[in-house]
Amino acid sequence: MGGTKYAKAVAAIKAMENFFLTHSDIEQLINASGKAEMNSILASKKSGGAETDSLESVWNTLMDYAPECQELKILLYKNDFHNLKAALKSMISGREPDKYYIKPSNLNLESLKEILSSKEYERLPEYMRKTAEEAYKLITKTLDGQLADSLIDCDTLKALQTAAEKTKSSFMIEYALLNTVCADIKTAYRCCKMKKSMSFTETALCGSRELEKDGLVRAVMGGMETLTSFLENSSYGDAARLLEKSTAQFEKWCDDVITELAEQARMQSFGFEPLAAYYIAAEAEIKNLRILSVCKEFGADRETVTERMRKLYV
Amino acid sequence: MTNGMVFALIGAALAALMAGIGSAKGVGLVGEAAAGVVSVDPSKFSKVLILQLLPGTQGLYGLLTAIILLSRVGVIGGTPAELTTAQGLAFLAAACPIAIVGLISAIFQGKTAAAGVGITAKKPEHNGKGIIMAAMVETYAILALLISILMIYNIAV
Repeated sequence: MGGTKYAKAVAAIKAMENFFLTHSDIEQLINASGKAEMNSILASKKSGGAETDSLESVWNTLMDYAPECQELKILLYKNDFHNLKAALKSMISGREPDKYYIKPSNLNLESLKEILSSKEYERLPEYMRKTAEEAYKLITKTLDGQLADSLIDCDTLKALQTAAEKTKSSFMIEYALLNTVCADIKTAYRCCKMKKSMSFTETALCGSRELEKDGLVRAVMGGMETLTSFLENSSYGDAARLLEKSTAQFEKWCDDVITELAEQARMQSFGFEPLAAYYIAAEAEIKNLRILSVCKEFGADRETVTERMRKLYV
Repeated sequence: MTNGMVFALIGAALAALMAGIGSAKGVGLVGEAAAGVVSVDPSKFSKVLILQLLPGTQGLYGLLTAIILLSRVGVIGGTPAELTTAQGLAFLAAACPIAIVGLISAIFQGKTAAAGVGITAKKPEHNGKGIIMAAMVETYAILALLISILMIYNIAV
């Protein structure tokens, strides 16, 4: 019966997918006169459905149906490493990290700061022990938060790729690859704009089979024109052109390619992939609602809102 | 009891056992998927129940084959026949189609029906398509049942 894992969970999330917002719902929300109308539309659309108001509740629902699914935990790596950054910075600044933490996370957030202060790295998940130790040393030695951030960001992508390879799932491998490529393009672009040193750029870029690290570092060092032509000669020329036009459009492209990947995974009847796809879709929906909410608050025009709306998983 | 009778009984046991195991697995898998849908939307219970029933038929075919075989050799409703080894092996061979095809087809039908539960969950109005897809697998179990019964009735006792 191999290959029929998570039959119950997959069937349940297929039923829950009916509660995702559709194109017409988004249209209605865009046309809403204010936040109050938005909330009433949302309340009518979501009544009786699964809780998708926060990613934590989406995650808890997934874990209720598939508590033994280890592969899904890879989706939280980005949150885990972000939380590591928050805890490290709070140690240096003497602030409480709680409000900077992102949930859901694989980490025990209550004890994260204590683990780092006592240097008991073995209490952390294996994929982040070395990073935590190195970042701690770096931040205490140099007090350069940006450098420590770059190290952690790069290690996030490496951990993501390593864990994805271990699952042997083409979906997860592609997910890790797309995340790495998007992050590397953004980092390379910023490093180039801010004329960062070669050693900083080398620390910050992760590299992947699609955009190999050495070439990307050389392109960054060569200046914006060299970087643009390097990216245009890769499979991500469209993305590079979008980044030149507007970062908002590039961010949207990054989210959309991940949603497109999730759309392929949802066709599967079994396995963890449709569950991961559901989480990614919920993430995109929550992001759309946040964008809508902020745009409504600041009275953004329809065009600004529409061009920022992420691809829907319906 | 003759060696022939032992082989015939093994045949009957395999027909009921293997097809039954296949059905149990298939029905169990669809039940798992159905429970997932019903936990979110209980109104879909009757629709997913039809899909869950489909892989159960192979178990019935196995049972039917076993009963026919047992009655042919006189274990049910008569005097047990003095079967030769060749006759016993012939009955064992006759039980094989439904035993093997029943086991495999029930598992595959379970997988197809569980995937059909996904259709019902997302688009309940297309429930029938899921049922048709799962029912296609049934064809091979019916063919195997037919062959098993024809063989059992045509073995001279």
